[in-house]
Amino acid sequence: MYSIIVVPPPTPEDTRDRTQIRLAPGERLAFGRSERGNGLRIAHDGVSRRAGEIAAQGVFWTLSNLSAHQTYVVENPEGAGEHIKVGPGRLQAPVPFEFSRIVLPAAGDLLPLEVWAPRHDYVRAGEGADGETTAPAFSVDRTKRYFAVLAALCEPRLRGTPHAPLPTVEQVVSRLRPTWPAASRTAVQWNIDYLAVKLRLKPGPETAETGPRLNGKKESLVSLALRFDLVREDDLVVLAEPSGRPVR
Amino acid sequence: MTEPYAVTVPRGYRVGRWEVREPIATGAFGSVYAARPAGGAGGRELPRTAALKFLPTGTGTPRQLAHLRELVEREVRLYHRLRQPRLIRMYEMLTVDDPADPRLDGATVLVLEKAESSLSALLAGGSRPAGGPALLAQVCEGLAQLHRAGWVHGDLKPANVLLLADGSARLADFNMAAELEGTHAYTPAFSTPDYTPPELLWSEIGERGRRIRPSADVWAFGVLAHLVLTGSFPLPGGTPTARRDAAVAYARGTDELRLSPELPDVWRTIVRECLTRTHADRIGTQALLRRVTDAAGTGRSARLPRPFSRLSRPFARRGRRARALLVLGASAATAAVAALGYGISTWVDGGPPGSGGGSGDVAAASYGAAELRTDRGVPAAYRLLIVETAHDCARREVTPPLIAAMLKAESNFDPDLADPVKDEYGIARWTPSVLRWWMHDDGTPGDTVPQPPFPPAESVPAMGRYLCWIAPRLDPGLPGDRRVLVAAAYRTSYAKVNDAGGVPPKYRDYAAHVAHYLKEYTPPGGK
Repeated sequence: MYSIIVVPPPTPEDTRDRTQIRLAPGERLAFGRSERGNGLRIAHDGVSRRAGEIAAQGVFWTLSNLSAHQTYVVENPEGAGEHIKVGPGRLQAPVPFEFSRIVLPAAGDLLPLEVWAPRHDYVRAGEGADGETTAPAFSVDRTKRYFAVLAALCEPRLRGTPHAPLPTVEQVVSRLRPTWPAASRTAVQWNIDYLAVKLRLKPGPETAETGPRLNGKKESLVSLALRFDLVREDDLVVLAEPSGRPVR
Repeated sequence: MTEPYAVTVPRGYRVGRWEVREPIATGAFGSVYAARPAGGAGGRELPRTAALKFLPTGTGTPRQLAHLRELVEREVRLYHRLRQPRLIRMYEMLTVDDPADPRLDGATVLVLEKAESSLSALLAGGSRPAGGPALLAQVCEGLAQLHRAGWVHGDLKPANVLLLADGSARLADFNMAAELEGTHAYTPAFSTPDYTPPELLWSEIGERGRRIRPSADVWAFGVLAHLVLTGSFPLPGGTPTARRDAAVAYARGTDELRLSPELPDVWRTIVRECLTRTHADRIGTQALLRRVTDAAGTGRSARLPRPFSRLSRPFARRGRRARALLVLGASAATAAVAALGYGISTWVDGGPPGSGGGSGDVAAASYGAAELRTDRGVPAAYRLLIVETAHDCARREVTPPLIAAMLKAESNFDPDLADPVKDEYGIARWTPSVLRWWMHDDGTPGDTVPQPPFPPAESVPAMGRYLCWIAPRLDPGLPGDRRVLVAAAYRTSYAKVNDAGGVPPKYRDYAAHVAHYLKEYTPPGGK
C-alpha cells in the first residue's frame, strides 16, 4: 500500500538497478549524512548530518528542509523548468509533482534524489469524482511522457493488427523523437520501468531469471493497457503523426 | 475519451418476442430500455415487463469490441450459470439481426428482470430507510448465494442493489463478477473506491486482471451496512480520496476503526467483522448471513418492516414536478448504472422507470399473493424465498403452497430447529448427509457434509431442488394429490412411495398435515 517511491542518488556500488524505497501514507524517511537504521544515508561530505525528511501523505508527499543554510530545489523533470524551492528550516512543504527530483547542493556537486508519486489520480472524461462510479484501477496522466511511450508501444496493435510485434525500444525512440527531441534509449527504458510501477504490474516469471528480459515487461504492459482501455485509438494523437508517413 | 455512445432504439422496435418501450438510461457502453412482450407473443411464460440492455457488440472499433465483449461475456456467463432468488435474473439473451440498421445489427440484448429502483436511489432521499436491516439481510442472502455458487460480485454498492416493485432486493450488475479459481477470482481492474477493501487499493495487477477473494464483497457489505444504517461511510473523510487514505491508514494499523455511534450494537459487531484490516480476519459469508439474519430478525419473526413506502412516494408526488423530477432522475440514473455496469451518465428523458404508478406499498408481506394466501400465517420473511423457489422448478406439482405447507409441517417455520436425535436441522429439517446432495444450485454435491445451522436461504432452495427432482420419479399412476405424494417422498424417498403405491402408512399423519396446510395456503380459485 505504498504511495511514494524514493530513489536515492546513485552510488558506485549500484549496478543496474537503483534501490527504491517505498513509503506508505503516513510514513517518513529522514535523509542526511549521518542517518542510520531506517533513515537514508547520503554519504557525501557536503550534505548535512540531518538534511531533511520526506513524508508520504495520501498520494502526495511533503519535504522538510532540516539544513541550516541550504535551499533545496524540487524539480519536475518533465515540467519544462517547473520547480519549487524549499528554504532552510521549512517543514512539510507539499510537493505536487508526479515525478520530482530533489537537488541537494553538496560542496559543488548536485546530488539528485528522485521521488515518484505514482498514485496521483486523474479524472476520466465523462465521470465524476464522487466515488460512486465504478472506476478503473489505473489513473494515468495523458500529458506525461510515460503515456506517449505507452501509446507508441501499443500503436501497432491499435492500428488494426492485433498480433503485430511490439516495437523495440529503438523504434519507440525514433517514433517519439518528433515530439520529444531528447528521447533516448535510457529515457524510454526508464519510462517503461516506471509504467510497470505505475500500473502495478505483477512481476512476471521472467524476473526470476537473470539478465534484462525487457520483452516480457513490454508485452505485459501492452496487453494490460489494451485490455483495460488505457490507450485507445484516439489517444494515438499524442504521437506526432501516423508512423510510416514520411516526416516532411 | 469519446462522447458517451448511446444505442438508440426506436419505441416499438421488435427484438425477438419483445417490443421496446421507453428508454431507461444510456451510457458509454450501451443503453437500457423498458420492454413488454410484443403483441400476441405474450402468454403465461413471459413476464409483463422487462429491461432490455442493448450492447453495441456489432459496431465500434475492433479494440473496443473485444473489450466490451469480455464484459458482456462475463455477465452472461454468470446469468447462465446462476439463477438465484436474490440475483436479478436474465430471461434470455438475443442478438439483433437487422441488416437494414447497421447501428443495431449484431447488438447483444440482455433481457433482464425489470427493477423499480435501486438502493442508491433509496439512500439518495437522504433519510435512512426504516427497513434497513431487512434490506441488508436480503443483500447478504444475495452475496451468500453468489459465493456459495463460487462467484465473487466484485462491485457491490448501493447502485447495484436493485429493488423490485414488491420491495425485495436483488443484486445486479455482474460485469465485474468472476468465478472463483480456488480461493481467488480474476476481475477486471475496475472498482468503486468507497467499497474497495484496503488490500485491493493499489494491489498488483496481472494480465488477467486483479485477483480478488469473496472477502472483498464482505468488506463492501460492511460499508454498505454502515451507510444504510447510519447514513454515513464507516471511514472518515469528506471525499472518496480522504476515505481511501483513511482505509489505508486503518489497514496499516496506524488508525483505529471508529464507527458511527448511531450504529446499533448488534450491527456494530457485524460491521467490525466485515471491515477487518486483513482479508484473512474477515467473517465468512455464511457466518455473516446468519449474523445478519439474526440481527435483522428476519430469521425468526415474520416481521419485514416496510422500507419501501418511502421509495414509492416520489412516484406518487407527480404534482410537484421540479422536485419529483430531481428525485426520479436520481433514481433512474442509479438504476441505470446498476443495469449497465459503469460509464453511465445520461438520463434519457423525464419519465421514471416503471412509472406506471400504482406500485404502491407492496411489501414482502404480500409477495406472491396470487399464489400463496397472505392471511394464513405464512411468515412474510419467507414468502419471497418460498415463491421464488417454487418458480425455479418447472414441475407443476412444486407450488408455493406446497413448499409453505411442508415447511409448516416440518418445522412450523422454525429456522433454528435442531433435532440431533433424528439428525435433522433448520426450517426444512434437512439431514446434513442428504442436504449435501442438494446444497448447490448447479446440481453438484458439496465437497463435505455441511454442518448445521442451515439458514432458510440455503434450506428452502435446496428443498425446492430436491422436490423438483422427486416429482418426475413418482409413478404416474399413483392415486391421490401429486403434491402430497411429493411431500411424502421428501420425508421418506420416492422409491418407498412408489413401492407402497401411495403414501406409506408410517407417513400418513405427515401427509395429512401437509394436505391440510396446502388447502389453507392456496388462494381461493387457485390450483
